[in-house]
Amino acid sequence: MAGSAPAHDGWLLDITESTDGRSVVLWVKGRADERVRRTAVDYRPPFLVAGPRAELPPLLRRLHDDPRVASAELVLGRPSLFDRRSRAVVRVVPRVNPVRRALASAVDAAGGYATFTLYDVDLAPPQLYHLAHGLYPFAPVAGHGADLVATEPAETIDYEAPPLRVAPLEVHLAGERRGRIPPPDGRIGAVRLGEVTLDGPEEAVLAALGRELARTEPDVLLTEGGDEFDLPWLYRRAAACGLGPGEFALGREPTPFRPARPARSFTSYGRVLHRAATYPVPGRFHLDRANSFLYRDAEIAGLVDAARLSRLSLQTVARQSPGTCFTAMEMANALALGVHVPWKKNRPEGFRTGATLVAADRGGVIFLPPVGVHDRIDEFDFASLYPHIMVRKNLSAETLECRCCPRSPIRAPGLGYRSCTRQVGLIPHTLAPLLTRRLAYKAALKDPALPPEEARRLRQRVKMLKWILVTAFGYQGYRNARFGRIECHEAINAYARDLLAALVADAEEAGYRVVHGIVDSLWLRPLDPDRPPDPEAFARRASARFDLPLGYEGRYRWIVFLPAVTHGLGVPNRYYGLYTSGEFKLRGIGGRRHDTPMFLRRFELEVLELLRGAPDAAGVVARVPQALARADLFAGRLADGAWPVDELLLAHRVGQAPEAFVTFTDSVAALRQLADAGAPHGAGETVRFAILDRQSRSWRERVRVAELLRGDERYDVGAYLELLAREAETLLAPFGVRRDELLARWGAPPRVERQPYRSAEAREQRALSGDAVGTFSPPSG
Amino acid sequence: MGRTAPTYRQALEERLKRWDAFARLLTTPEDRAAFELVRTGARRYVAQATYVGSPDLLEAILLSVLTDLAARLRAEPAASAARH
Repeated sequence: MAGSAPAHDGWLLDITESTDGRSVVLWVKGRADERVRRTAVDYRPPFLVAGPRAELPPLLRRLHDDPRVASAELVLGRPSLFDRRSRAVVRVVPRVNPVRRALASAVDAAGGYATFTLYDVDLAPPQLYHLAHGLYPFAPVAGHGADLVATEPAETIDYEAPPLRVAPLEVHLAGERRGRIPPPDGRIGAVRLGEVTLDGPEEAVLAALGRELARTEPDVLLTEGGDEFDLPWLYRRAAACGLGPGEFALGREPTPFRPARPARSFTSYGRVLHRAATYPVPGRFHLDRANSFLYRDAEIAGLVDAARLSRLSLQTVARQSPGTCFTAMEMANALALGVHVPWKKNRPEGFRTGATLVAADRGGVIFLPPVGVHDRIDEFDFASLYPHIMVRKNLSAETLECRCCPRSPIRAPGLGYRSCTRQVGLIPHTLAPLLTRRLAYKAALKDPALPPEEARRLRQRVKMLKWILVTAFGYQGYRNARFGRIECHEAINAYARDLLAALVADAEEAGYRVVHGIVDSLWLRPLDPDRPPDPEAFARRASARFDLPLGYEGRYRWIVFLPAVTHGLGVPNRYYGLYTSGEFKLRGIGGRRHDTPMFLRRFELEVLELLRGAPDAAGVVARVPQALARADLFAGRLADGAWPVDELLLAHRVGQAPEAFVTFTDSVAALRQLADAGAPHGAGETVRFAILDRQSRSWRERVRVAELLRGDERYDVGAYLELLAREAETLLAPFGVRRDELLARWGAPPRVERQPYRSAEAREQRALSGDAVGTFSPPSG
Repeated sequence: MGRTAPTYRQALEERLKRWDAFARLLTTPEDRAAFELVRTGARRYVAQATYVGSPDLLEAILLSVLTDLAARLRAEPAASAARH
């Protein structure tokens, strides 16, 4: 697919901030010679301050006296999304870009954090440069320096991707195996770049790396764990060899040997995560597979697509969440519409009564599936349901309950929130082209004549868009989302609930019974198995009726819905089933989780392969004894003590700082071992270990971390039998398989119910909080 | 995460926990089994009870428990007919 765009001289790869603080650097890759050229352009973007008219002149006087200010003037504008009329605002240009934030904080403080609203403060100068000049990453461009122009718009669906040279980069320390804990003074013994391995004395390797970079000119350095290890280690050793930024650079210009962003732990969706520090490589990109959720899924083609639309650098897109990309796309759209980006969201939720909250703050419909195995189930799925609802119902912060449409017929069911009928909201405005884009790529993928390389690229872009569309909804309810509004979140759910309820009735009328449903998906069983409804026709009718794309996912030969351990009723999102196409769909079972040890994955895989032969529900039931025999076989081999230890590694993401643990767990032991070996781990990082003796109170003997594993360790048989029994129960519970019975059958030692170790403070705390009151505990010997 | 009102599921579990005290003073296995039915019935229709969106938690739980009981009653004659 190649568009008929006007001739261009090359591609704009990236814009970076220059070290002088007064300009940005444009990196353009020539079309003819594929060489990357650097041009610095003076650029100091302004930010805006809005506030009551009377407060602006004193603010101006103050700013004129501030040495950090290059200029401050009154201009007319409509900075806010909610502004319908122009008003006077102050436009501030800082003397150098790095003081933008400090200066903005000073203005905010001068107004008591309430008087002024600030705009465009925390957008990075490169991002603003893109937006102010109609540019975007990977744009085909013509012209030079400040006159550089894009020859086609960012939204172009059918574009020629820029040729990027990708080189894998891998650092090896002398006398050390990769993946082990590096000694603090470890020297670099070899570096692999692309096809070439450079080795020799450390200084020679570093010098050779510089030459090899200059010779091969890679655009992308691809690493596995480079943020954590390869890049910091290269810079650290370069410094140790007495080299400075002038003598050693991984980017295309010298840059200080320090991270652009420090490492940090943060919480996302209730999980504590860790992100390693990021080192800049100006003029190139460093993609770390281990530090990029999006790269793993969408690869470079997907990231390039997202960078184009969000105006964020590829390097940033790779390390950020899809939500950040979506926010950046909203910002880009806002600025294109003449609206500015508020620095701090200043729209508190309106006061509402408890009853209103209970009525409004609800999610989508989630049924409880009937536990057990079912056959002949048709599955249907709305594609990008929530984004479609936002677009169809014009749901956006500024279009909800607008003043201009008191009689709007678009109202959220049950809640009554009105949507504007006069103007398309920012969010629908941002989402609609993404939906079109995704559909266009999917349609193009149906073309059998598509070259495989192109198909791969399109599939990666589709995946990227999927993630961005998924997060678009969540960001409506997020307190920091700049353009989010909780009422939008509620309205979307209300429409979705109403839709699913209507669909249940439709399905029954079509000759189906509803077996299960989650938010935007339905599992249906034909009422009369001999005369099942035509699923494609049902999907078409429903799509037409609701004006939303309902897709037929396929028919299951059989599907097993799994029970909750606590109450035995079905769990909405834990099931496995086999489509008639021969493909499995697995949710919430071991193999889908990243912390499952290899031996359990093998077990699960073998059981699934066994069940693959089952043509229907009865076939699954008939194969349960064979599955149990397989479990016995695994148990036997485990009990022999001969299972390779590296297949027994458990992964655990540490949820808090190591010193915050009060109970001595396997993870605590692993953390101690790592810290002792000189590789301390913090909150959000993952520890991997094998259990050697789960009853041990010694952190040396209880577990062995992966980094120190020798391979001849004796593992704790009882602990692993328990894990196996648990896994077997998870998969086979609907057929009456119980883990205690399995353990008894394997002659495993009875489960240890040990009082967890608690520190003296923790015991005292428990006693004070009355936790122990009312329970009888026998005196301990 | 940032929500003021608990979800129906959370509120239900909270209430069921309170009912543990009731169950602890039931003196026959039959009564305890019967109470288990009530508890299961309360959990069975969470989707539907959420959809009601009533500020009255008990109304939603009652609807769920009663529907569950009614469904069992309707199924019972058919089941006993099948046994005979």
